[in-house]
Amino acid sequence: MNRRDFFKIVTATGAAAATAGCQGASEQILPLVVPNEQLVPGVASWFATVCRECPAGCGVLARNRDGRVVKLEGNPDHPVGQGALCVRGQAALQGLYHPDRFPGPLVREGAGLKPATWENAQKILVDRLGALRGGGRGRAVALVTQLENGSLGALADTWARALGTRARVTLEPFGYEAIRAANRITFGRAAVPHYAFEEARVVLSFGADFVETWLSPVAYTRAFARMHTFRDGRAGTFIHVEPRQSLTAANADEWIRNAPGTEGLVALAILKLMLEDGLVDRRFADAVVGIDVKKVAAGSGVDEATLRHVAKAFGHARPGLAIGGGVAVSGSNATRTQVAINLLNAAAGNVGRTIRFGPDAAWGKVTPYAEVADLVEAMARGEIEVLLLGQGVNPVHALPAGLKFAAAVRKVGLVVSFATQPDETTALAHVVLPDTHWLEAWGDFSPREGVTGLLQPTMAPVRDARQTGDVLLGVGRAVLGSEEGKGPLPWASFEQYLKAAWEPAVRGEWAGALRQGGVWREVAPVAVQAKAGPVEAGAAALEGDASGFALLPYPSLRFYDGRGASHAWLQESPDTMTQAVWDAWVEVPAEAATRLGVATGDVLRVTSPHGAIELPAYVSATLHPTAVAIPLGHRYAPYHVPRYVAAAPTAMTPAALLGPARDAASGGAAWLGVRVTLAKTGARRPLAILQATHDQDHRELAQHVDLRAAREQALRGRAAPHEPISMYADHVYPGYHWGLAIDVDACVGCQACVVACQAENNVPVAGKASAAYGRQLHWIRIERWAEGPAAQPTNTFLPMLCQHCEVAPCEPVCPVFAAYRTEEGLNGQVYNRCVGTRYCGNNCPYHVRRFNWFQYEFPAPLEVQLNPDVTVRQLGIMEKCTMCIQRIIAGKDHARDEKRTVRDGDILTACQQTCPTQAITFGDLKGEKNAVSALRHSPRAYTVLEELGTRPGVTYLKKVVREHA
Amino acid sequence: MRPPTFADVNRDVLRTLEPPGNRYFAWMCVVALILSAGILFWAGQVWWGIGMAGKRVPQMWALYITTFVFWIGIGHAGTLISAVLYLFRARWRTSIYRAAEAMTIFAVMTAGLFPLIHAGRMWFAYFLLPYPNQRYLWPNFRSPLVWDVFAISTYFSISTVFFIVGLVPDVAALRDASTGWRRRIYAMLALGWEGSDTQWRHYRRAYGLFAALATPLVLSVHSVVSWDFAMALVPGWHSTLFAPFFVDGAIFSGFAMVAVLVLPMRHFFGLHAYIQDRHLDAISKLILVTGLVLTYFYVCEIFTSLYSGDHIEKASLFWKVTKTYAWALWLMYFCNCVAPLVFFVRKARTNPVVIYVVSILVLIGMWFERFNIIVPSLGHGFYPYAWGIFVPSATDTGILIGSFAWFFLLFLGFIKVMPSLSIVEVKETLPPPMRDKGHGGQH
Amino acid sequence: MVGSTETIVGVFAHVDTTVRALEELKAKGYHDLTVYTPVPVHEIEDVVERDRPVSRVRLFTLLGGLTGAFSGFMLTIWSAMQWNLVTGGKPIASIPPFVVIAFELTILFGGIATLIGMVVLGRLPKLRPSPAFDPRFTRDRFGVAVHCVPGRGGSVREILGAAGAEEVKTV
Repeated sequence: MNRRDFFKIVTATGAAAATAGCQGASEQILPLVVPNEQLVPGVASWFATVCRECPAGCGVLARNRDGRVVKLEGNPDHPVGQGALCVRGQAALQGLYHPDRFPGPLVREGAGLKPATWENAQKILVDRLGALRGGGRGRAVALVTQLENGSLGALADTWARALGTRARVTLEPFGYEAIRAANRITFGRAAVPHYAFEEARVVLSFGADFVETWLSPVAYTRAFARMHTFRDGRAGTFIHVEPRQSLTAANADEWIRNAPGTEGLVALAILKLMLEDGLVDRRFADAVVGIDVKKVAAGSGVDEATLRHVAKAFGHARPGLAIGGGVAVSGSNATRTQVAINLLNAAAGNVGRTIRFGPDAAWGKVTPYAEVADLVEAMARGEIEVLLLGQGVNPVHALPAGLKFAAAVRKVGLVVSFATQPDETTALAHVVLPDTHWLEAWGDFSPREGVTGLLQPTMAPVRDARQTGDVLLGVGRAVLGSEEGKGPLPWASFEQYLKAAWEPAVRGEWAGALRQGGVWREVAPVAVQAKAGPVEAGAAALEGDASGFALLPYPSLRFYDGRGASHAWLQESPDTMTQAVWDAWVEVPAEAATRLGVATGDVLRVTSPHGAIELPAYVSATLHPTAVAIPLGHRYAPYHVPRYVAAAPTAMTPAALLGPARDAASGGAAWLGVRVTLAKTGARRPLAILQATHDQDHRELAQHVDLRAAREQALRGRAAPHEPISMYADHVYPGYHWGLAIDVDACVGCQACVVACQAENNVPVAGKASAAYGRQLHWIRIERWAEGPAAQPTNTFLPMLCQHCEVAPCEPVCPVFAAYRTEEGLNGQVYNRCVGTRYCGNNCPYHVRRFNWFQYEFPAPLEVQLNPDVTVRQLGIMEKCTMCIQRIIAGKDHARDEKRTVRDGDILTACQQTCPTQAITFGDLKGEKNAVSALRHSPRAYTVLEELGTRPGVTYLKKVVREHA
Repeated sequence: MRPPTFADVNRDVLRTLEPPGNRYFAWMCVVALILSAGILFWAGQVWWGIGMAGKRVPQMWALYITTFVFWIGIGHAGTLISAVLYLFRARWRTSIYRAAEAMTIFAVMTAGLFPLIHAGRMWFAYFLLPYPNQRYLWPNFRSPLVWDVFAISTYFSISTVFFIVGLVPDVAALRDASTGWRRRIYAMLALGWEGSDTQWRHYRRAYGLFAALATPLVLSVHSVVSWDFAMALVPGWHSTLFAPFFVDGAIFSGFAMVAVLVLPMRHFFGLHAYIQDRHLDAISKLILVTGLVLTYFYVCEIFTSLYSGDHIEKASLFWKVTKTYAWALWLMYFCNCVAPLVFFVRKARTNPVVIYVVSILVLIGMWFERFNIIVPSLGHGFYPYAWGIFVPSATDTGILIGSFAWFFLLFLGFIKVMPSLSIVEVKETLPPPMRDKGHGGQH
Repeated sequence: MVGSTETIVGVFAHVDTTVRALEELKAKGYHDLTVYTPVPVHEIEDVVERDRPVSRVRLFTLLGGLTGAFSGFMLTIWSAMQWNLVTGGKPIASIPPFVVIAFELTILFGGIATLIGMVVLGRLPKLRPSPAFDPRFTRDRFGVAVHCVPGRGGSVREILGAAGAEEVKTV
C-alpha cells in the first residue's frame, strides 16, 4: 500500500476506535445502527494494530471493508516487520472468523460446557475469589497469560496485587532463557539483545531458526535478506550448524550437520581455531584451553577442515554475527552453548556492532520456566483453588508432558479460561470467559525496548466476547466491593486504563499514535564487557534408551507452539522442506529408515520414557543419523475433522514425549532432552505431499549462478537479450504491460505469500485428501528444488504462479475464449465463460491452473472474510493467479484521480506486499526505469522453460551460490 | 450351393425382423440395467462436481476423453465401408455395410456424450456452439475442441443421411411385405419409394456423391480428433504423426467392432448365405493390414521421440515404457501388434472364433492406446513438481461401462426394427433372373 | 392424365424378358415408359437411360459445397473480428485453423444439398402410390408401365405378352 492510502486510512482510525470498540453482544458483524463516516460502503479503511500470533509483535494494518476485516498487511511504518508479515500473521484472520470460536461465556455442566450469561459466569469467579480472599487465601489464585508486557500485563499485575493473588505467570513455551542466562554470565546483562543481521558480513548460526520462529522471524528474515541477497556485486555469507536441515539451514550457503547437542563444542572449536590463526582477541584463549579440535570433530561429526574454513570465514568477517537457538540449542547444556557463542562474538568484536544491548527484546519478560514448574507443582499439591488462563496459552498442549500440567490442572477447583476457541486446556476449564480476538481488542505490546505498538479494535467483535482487561476490572471490583472510579481498580474499562497509561507517553497525541500504530524511538546501545572465563561445554545429556534416537521437537514455522494450528490456511500451506500439508510426521534419517524397513507414510510408534505417539514417517536423507525430528504444535481444530482431514489416533505434538528435564544453568525447558525408539505399527497414513519430486531432472526450472560469475556479470552488465523468433508480429500493449520479477536468491521459502494470496483472492481450502491428489487450489506455490548430494543438497526455493505468458499455451485451446490475452499483458480468465473442458490446464507447461473440482465451502463465519473485490468461484471452472487484478484496477483508478500514470509502488500484489525478503517485484515493464524492468534486464534474469517460447511475463533472478557451498 | 433368389433375400432378411424371443429381451434388460447405473453415476457427478471422477492435476483429462476417442474410432468403419469401399466397388461390402453404418451412427452418438460428461459445467456446453448472443461472443475457432464440434456433428449428419438414404428402398420392401400399423410406419419412412427408373437414377447418382463426400470426411474426422492432442504441447502429444496414426487406428478398431457385431448376427439369424467366409476373410485381412500399419506408427512414435534428442520427450517416453502405466502400454502392444498376426494364417481368417477373440483383443488394445496417449503423457509432462498418478474412481469407471450399455442398447434395438442386411445391395450382387441362361448373367 | 391416357403394366420375372419388351416398345415408338425394378439392373438401365441426360443431383452438391466453404471462412473470420481477442499470440484472423471449419462445412452443406437434390428430382416423398405400382416390384418382379393414348392399348398388350410378361394389366 502507498503513503496516500495510508493516510486516508489513518484519518479514519480515531473515530473507528470510538465506535468499533463498543462492547456488548454482537452476533451480527456490522452492528452500527447509525452508519458512521469512516465506513463508506465499498471503500476500505485501514486500521493499524499489532500482530499477536507470536511475541515478535510485528505491526499490522487491517483492511476493513464495510465493517469487516478482510485482509491483514504489515505496517510499513512499524520498526518490526516494516510492512511484511509472516505466514502466521497472514492467517490470523482465520482466528478472528474461526468457526469454532466460543459464541459467548460458557460454564461447565458435567462433561460439557454450557452457554451462560456474562453475569452468571463472572459471578462464579467472583464468589470463589471473594471466598478465598475472605479466608486470606489469595495465594490460592494464579493468573497465567501469554507474554503481555504492555498495559494488559500491568493491569493484571495491579489486579493480582489488589486481590493478593500469586504473581502473574507469563507463559511462553519458548522463553529463550538460555540466551538470557548466558548473557548474564558473559555480559552481566540477563537480556535478549537486538541482532543487527544487516550489518554482518558473515552470519554463523548454531541452530537458530530465524527464518521460522526464532525471536522475531519477520524482522530478522528481512534483515538477513538485506545482508545475504546478492545486490550490485555484494552478498553476505550464511553458515548454519544444525543436525537437521531446517528451512533456515536450507537457506544457508553452507549447512554443517553436527551431532545433536554438540553446538557448544563446535563453537568453542571454531573459537580455538580462530585464536590459532590469530584472527581474534587473545584474551579469550583461556576459554578454550580444554578444547581439543580433533576430539570435537570426532564427537560432533563435523570434520576439522570444515571447522577450519568456518573459523577463517568468521574470523575474517568484519563484522560477523554468531547466533544460537532453536531446539538443538535447548538441551541440558543450552546456557553453556550460548556462552560459547557469546565468546565467539565477543572475541570477533561483534558485540556492540551486530549485537546490541539496549533495544532488548520483550523475551526478557517471560516468566522463567522454573517458576512455571513451581506453579504446576503447587497445583498438583492442590494449593491452587482458582487458575485463570489468558488468551493464547494452551499449556496442556504446548508444555512438555513431563511437567504433568494436565494432571495438575485437574486438581484445581476452578479453572477459568479466557481463550477464544476450544483447545486441550479449555477442555479442562470450568468457566470460559472468551476474550476478544486481538483484531477486536484494545491493547499495546512492546516487542523490544523503544518500540511500543498499539492495538485497537479493527472491527466489532464477531462473537459475544469481552476483553480480558474489562473482565478483570469488573471481577476485581466486584470482589473488592469497590465501585467505579474508586479503589485500586477505578477504571471504567480497559480502554480507559490504556489511554490513561499512554497519556504520559503520547501527551494528547493519542490519535496520532493510533494512526502510526504505536510509538518508537531509537534506543542507544549499552556497552557491555565480556567476561572470558573458561567454558566446559559438553554435549547435551539425553534421557532414555541409549540405543534410541535423539528427539528434535522443533517449533513449526506454520503453527509456532500450536497457536496457528487451528487455522486451515496454515494447515494447507505446505511445510516448505517436506511439502507436506495437514498431517504431522516424524522425520526419520534415511539410514535408520532402511534399517527399519520404513517408507514415507508408514505409521511409526515413537516412544520416549514419558509417552508415545503414532505418526507417519517422513524419510529424510539430510537428517543426522542419530536423530529423529517432529514439528511441535500440530493439532486440528474441531471443524477440521472430518471436513478436511481424518482425526489423528494419538497426539501429534512431540511435547507429549518430553520429560521434565531442564537446562541446568538457566532452568529453561530442555526441548532436546529425550531419546526415543521407533517401531512400525504396520499401518499406513500417506502424507499429503504436494511436490512430486525435488529433482528438477535437468529442466533448469530453478537456476543458479556462481557468486564469482554473478559479480563479473554485474560489472559487465547483460549482453543484449536474444529476441525470440516468431512468424507473428510482436504483441502490442497500448497501455501498461504488467510483469513480475522474482529474485530466487532472496526467497527463503517462508510461505507467507501463499497464505497472503489465499486471503486476498478467496482461495478455498481443499483438505488433506484433495491436496494429496493434486487438487490443492493455491494460486502461488513455493517449490523446493534440491541439487547435489542427497545428504547435503543445495536447496533453491522457487515461487511458482501463473507466468502470464505472451504466447500462452492455455489460451488458444480454450473453445470459449474464457482464457485470453488482456491488453495489459495478463492472461485473463473469464470465470462466467468457462465451461470446464480443462484443456488449458493440460496445456499449461507450468501446471499453475487450478480447477474447482467441487463446490468449495467457507464454513461460517469464514465467508465474512471473503474479499468483496474478488469473485468467489463456482464448481467446474478453472482459475489461476490474476496478478491481483483488483489491486491493479484500484491502483490505476487512484493514479487517474491524481491525473497521472501508475508509478512503482502504487500497486503491490498480495504476495509481494507480505514478502519479508522483498523477493517479488511488480510493475509496468514498459517503463524502462521501473524496478521490474531493471530486474528483467538483470544479468541474472531468466524465464522458466524458456525453450518453449511461451515468453512469460514473470522473470526470475538466478540464485547466487557461494563458492564453498 | 445354389445362390439365393431375389425372393429368398427378402424372405431371409425379413425373417431377422420377426418378433424376438425371451433371450433377446433378457439381454435388453441386462444392458438397460447397466445403462441406468451409468446414468446414476453421471447424475452424481453433475450434482457434486467433476471431482467425483478421478481427475486431478496433472491428468485434467482421463477416462472420458479416452473413451470418447475410442468410440469415435469405432464410428469410422461404417462410413469407410459404405463410402470408400463403395467407390472402390468392393462388392463384398454389401452384406455387412448396413450393420456397419448403424454401428457408426450409434458409436458417434455414444462418443458425442463424452464431451458433455467431461465438461466441468456441462450445462454451459452450448457455449461451444456458434449462436448469436447479446455478448457478440462466438466460439474460439482456434481451439481444436471447436473443430471437434464441427467435425463430429458433420460426420454424424452425413453418416445419418447416408444411412437413411440407403435404407429407403429396403424400407419400401418392408412396407410391401408387412401389414397393419407396421406397414403404415414403414410406408411413411419409405417416402413412397417405388423403384421406378427416375427414382433409381437420381438415387444412384446421389449415393455416389454421398460416398465421394464421406470419404474425405472419414479421414478428416479422426485427424481433427487427433489434433486435440497434437495441437497441445504436452510431451507425447505434440506430434505431426498423430493424424494418420489416429485414422488408421480408428479403421483398425472399427473393423474389429464390425466383426464383433456381425459374427453373432450371422450365427443367430443364420445369414451364412450372405455373410460368407470370403466376407470374414476380407475383414480379417483389413484388420491385419491396419494392424501392421499401426505397428509401424508405434515404431515411428518411439523413434521420433528418441531421435528428437529432446530430453523431456525422452523422459516422458521412458517413464511410459517402464513406470507406473507400463503394463497398459505393453498390453496395448500385444493386442494391437501381436494378436492380429494370426491372420497371416488363412484358416484363422475364416474361423469365426479366432476372429471374434482377436477382435475383442483389438478393441481392448485400442482403448488402451488412447489411455496410454492421454493419462501417462499428462502424468509426466514438462513440470516435475506436478508429476502424478491418475486413479480411476467408481464414477468414471461406471460411466465408461454405461457407455457400452448405451451402444448395445441402440444396436440391439436396431436389428429388430430395420433390415440389418441391405436387401437391395445384396440382390445387386446376385445374378439377375434370366429366362435363357445364355444371355446376360454375372458381370 | 387419367382419362386422356391409359396405362398398361407388364409384370416380368426376368431381366432379359423385360429388356426385350423395352426394346420392342421403344422401337414401336412408345417413349412414355416407367420401369419398376427391385434393384438397379444394368441391362435395363442401358435401355432406359440411353436417350436421357445425366442426373442433375451433382449440381446441387457443387453449389452446396461452395456455399459451405464460403460460409465457413466468413463465420470464423467475421466472428473473430467481433471482439479481437488475442489467444496464444496468434493473429485475430488465423487462417490455418479456420480451414478446418471451412472444410467441415463444405462437406456438411454439400451432403445436405445432395439429399435435397435427390428428394426434389426423384419426386420424393410420394404421398400416394402410383396406380401402375405393384408390391411385387420391391421383391423380385420387374414392371414396365406404358402410358399411351386410349385405343393403342391392344398393341401394347401384345408387345408385352410377346416379350414374355407373366401378367399384363390395365390400370
